[in-house]
Amino acid sequence: MAATRRLQKELGDIRNSGLKSFRDIQVDETNILTWQGLIVPDNPPYNKGAFKIEINFPAEYPFKPPKINFKTKIYHPNIDEKGQVCLPIISAENWKPATKTEQVIQALVALVNEPEPEHPLRGDLAEEYLKDKKKFAKNAEDYTKKHSEKRPAD
Amino acid sequence: MNSSDSITDSDEASRTDPEASSSAFDNETKSTDNKDEVMKRAAAKKLIERYFYQLTDGCGNPQCDNKYCASNGEMSPLTPDEAAAKAIQLFSQEARLCEIHPNKIARKQGNIINNTNGSSNEVTCKTSQTTNESESQSNYSSKDSLKCNSAPVPTFLTEQALYDIIDECEANNSYSPLIRTLGEIFSSIENLSKSFPQEAKSPSQAYSLDDADIKALKKEEVRTLEGEKDKDEDSSADSIKSSLPLVDVPSVRRAFTALFKLKKSIFENALVNALVTLAGNLQMELPTRKERGVNDDIVNVLLIVFEIPGLCSGDLLETALPAICRAAQGLPIEVQANLARQWSEVARSSIRIILMNLQQLITYCILRAMMTLMPDFCLQDENVITSATKLMKILYYANLLAGVLESPELRCHTLSDSTDGLLIKPKNSLPSDLLADELGVHVLDCRTPYIPFSEFYHEPLSEAVEMDRDFANYKSETGIRMNPCKFSFMHYPFILTPATKTMGLYFDNRIRMYSERRISFLQAVTGLPSQPFLKLKVRRDHIIDDALVELEMISMDNPSDLKKQLVVEFEGEQGIDEGGVSKEFFQLVIEEIFNPDYAMFVIQPESQTTWFNPTSFESDAQFKLIGVVLGLAIYNNVILAVNFPMVLYRKLMGRRGSFEDLQDWNPVLYNSLKQLLDYEEPNFEDVFMLTFRISYQDVFGSTISYDLKHDGDKILVTQENKYEFVDMYADFLLNKSVEKQFSAFYRGFQMVVDESPLELLFRPEEIELLICGSKNFDFDELELSTEYDGGYSNETQIIKDFWSVVHALSMEDKRKLLQFTTGSDRVPVGGLSKLKLVVAKNGPDSDRLPTAHTCFNVLLLPEYSSKEKLKDRLVKAINYSKGFGML
Repeated sequence: MAATRRLQKELGDIRNSGLKSFRDIQVDETNILTWQGLIVPDNPPYNKGAFKIEINFPAEYPFKPPKINFKTKIYHPNIDEKGQVCLPIISAENWKPATKTEQVIQALVALVNEPEPEHPLRGDLAEEYLKDKKKFAKNAEDYTKKHSEKRPAD
Repeated sequence: MNSSDSITDSDEASRTDPEASSSAFDNETKSTDNKDEVMKRAAAKKLIERYFYQLTDGCGNPQCDNKYCASNGEMSPLTPDEAAAKAIQLFSQEARLCEIHPNKIARKQGNIINNTNGSSNEVTCKTSQTTNESESQSNYSSKDSLKCNSAPVPTFLTEQALYDIIDECEANNSYSPLIRTLGEIFSSIENLSKSFPQEAKSPSQAYSLDDADIKALKKEEVRTLEGEKDKDEDSSADSIKSSLPLVDVPSVRRAFTALFKLKKSIFENALVNALVTLAGNLQMELPTRKERGVNDDIVNVLLIVFEIPGLCSGDLLETALPAICRAAQGLPIEVQANLARQWSEVARSSIRIILMNLQQLITYCILRAMMTLMPDFCLQDENVITSATKLMKILYYANLLAGVLESPELRCHTLSDSTDGLLIKPKNSLPSDLLADELGVHVLDCRTPYIPFSEFYHEPLSEAVEMDRDFANYKSETGIRMNPCKFSFMHYPFILTPATKTMGLYFDNRIRMYSERRISFLQAVTGLPSQPFLKLKVRRDHIIDDALVELEMISMDNPSDLKKQLVVEFEGEQGIDEGGVSKEFFQLVIEEIFNPDYAMFVIQPESQTTWFNPTSFESDAQFKLIGVVLGLAIYNNVILAVNFPMVLYRKLMGRRGSFEDLQDWNPVLYNSLKQLLDYEEPNFEDVFMLTFRISYQDVFGSTISYDLKHDGDKILVTQENKYEFVDMYADFLLNKSVEKQFSAFYRGFQMVVDESPLELLFRPEEIELLICGSKNFDFDELELSTEYDGGYSNETQIIKDFWSVVHALSMEDKRKLLQFTTGSDRVPVGGLSKLKLVVAKNGPDSDRLPTAHTCFNVLLLPEYSSKEKLKDRLVKAINYSKGFGML
């Protein structure tokens, strides 16, 4: 497969880099185009849990951008109920083939930690975030506790 | 004050004038000069010319007492014909010539321009206002000296010389030197062609003349151009051979700018008259020039003439330009090619202006004809219009050459090495265009023309032209070649709008349909089975299979039946096909065949375009059917709801797909590959880690790999071979991976259109228009299907305002709005309602601009306080947003 060489390398690099905020990377031996991993945010209210994501690379990678989906439900203005997220770095218009997956993940972690209410996918949450931050934080924390994955031990 | 007024009033006179007057010169010279000596004839001709200018322009001295001088204002204006006759008469009488104005001389560099005794020049030019009496003697002496003197001294004008003359004229407040100079220079091919010479330069420097243009070329365009280097070198080698220096176009422009700062009344008449004479000379000379390579002077002359500002108004438009156009229509093909090259190189920034001038001239002719209500006015017979059209063709090719060209290797004339044994009918080879052959270019080679092709459309002409007559001319020409001089705009399709060209195609279709029908009737008489229509009988629930079988049968037995008028009958239904039934048939076939379940075609999510499924299991026959359907749609004037990328139409016209085609095929892929090419860092291999093995996905989502080269996964893509990689990748995606599907499709299409002038008339983007109709931006439909989020509904005031603003936007802005919210300005098949646009509230009133999530077609709209603000913000956002980002 064309993308194999590069994805193998990227996967190795990410695993070796010891990212604290993205762990438990699982890749099926037979299909390197699908990765799963755990986003571990640092900022409240999301620091009460961890979130499983799936990264799908197209066959034409790196000429087409990967797609990211949240497998764990999350209360976040930029991530919709289906787990879809709109991340500029991997949007069709902005995609650069030189972009490494590590950069993509860092951008994603940053977005989870710092919601961008200016660009919401869920308008109701964005409005709540802007108008009543306390209420938002409380709701998000409750939601996180209820739905999210367990954070890794260390 | 002089004769040009009378010229302007009657175009007829001016049309006959150049030949008449110049040949009159010639004949007369012959009779007076028994000794057949060339030099003497030339001298005599010069003298007659001087009489002529004295009669038409005058000597410039208002106090002149010569009754045969226009300057004294007593003479009634003469037409050029009359003036020529009179000049000859005066010559034979040896009548008095006004003071000789040596001011015609371009004094710089000591170029002495006159036929008089050189020594007195320097003196007289300073005192050009001396009286005639004192000079009358020297007239005779000059004439004597002429007779024994050798050929006239070569004369020309330079930028500096013109400045000097203008300065001097302004100082003396007498413009006769200028008038004389213009007359002398601009009336003579020889003089004008030597004017404004380039300083000796190497040919490569000649290229850099239009620096701004070269700079504007982007890197990859230069790359494309480099491919053409060989050809360019050849062509510049041609121009080197000539003894004449090339024209220094920027210098010409500066000179004309200076000249036109003067009051127009001062010099316009002289210039117009000179140009008319020049046109006469051209017309006379051209037929005698056969040899290749000796025509550079004519190219120079035309280069200079078309740089004259203000050609599109006044006498220059009404008199001079028509004469020049008429003269230029006899240009030999090499000269046309040379002129096109020159225009594309040194004068490319003038292309638009020259085009406007020619269009203005055509418009003027059409309007004049309409105003005078000429009863039997026919555009094809109007010499000025046709000759301007011919010149425009040269310009059209110059525009191609000045644009971004691709390698001619991408032309593929044969697809006959296709997989199955079915022979493609040899394509009815339309007579290829001579100018295109001479230049070695083809319209399809051009990726981006220097100015858009659409600027060549001439609306008034397209409206006024009678396509039936034009088509008859076209037929009479190609058919029997009995009358090759009949003019048909179908050979100049760039000037016609697509709607008018469609008429031409329509006539061709009708005539072929009728002739097929007539033959059918004949067959009926002779007892053979007859079928005047192409009749298809299909069952609704088996529409593809039935159509396939029937069309297959027809294409095997008698492919020419496909050219008959289509009549469709649905089994068990009463409908008689008067067009409606076949429309429905097309619609159903298209729906069925593009159905993703059918897997013949795939829709590319990034561009919403339809493309062949490279892993389709369907037989060739299915693809051939869709080709036939596409052809039948054109042929029967039906618009189809298909959304192919432009490369398909380019391929149908005989071009292979190449890297640039990916842009519209899949913009994401294209941008990525472009970044690959633009990446200049040394760590290229480490960053991209690509090999010559690429992969793609089939409809079931499994990944398939393909080696662009043998053992491709072992060959790294490097800084050095990245261009090769990109070209091979594009070739695979656009050609190789769908070779089988496309060639079947192409065969089907050709079965229907192989004899029509489709390829002659239309460019790929116009074919698309023909098949898909104009891009239908039905925003009402979009409004109905739009959903709202975040507290908006279709009842909210701001949403009502939003739609009233959107509906009032221009087409261009609507397109941008689509691009802004969805990332593509293409309409998906099935219309805008398939877009599923969402308008979501993005907070209360604020100064922020609207934003969008192109991933999900969401437009985020703050609840602005007023409609005006909404409009202002929206228009700003769609016009200034390029790219993406969170603000």
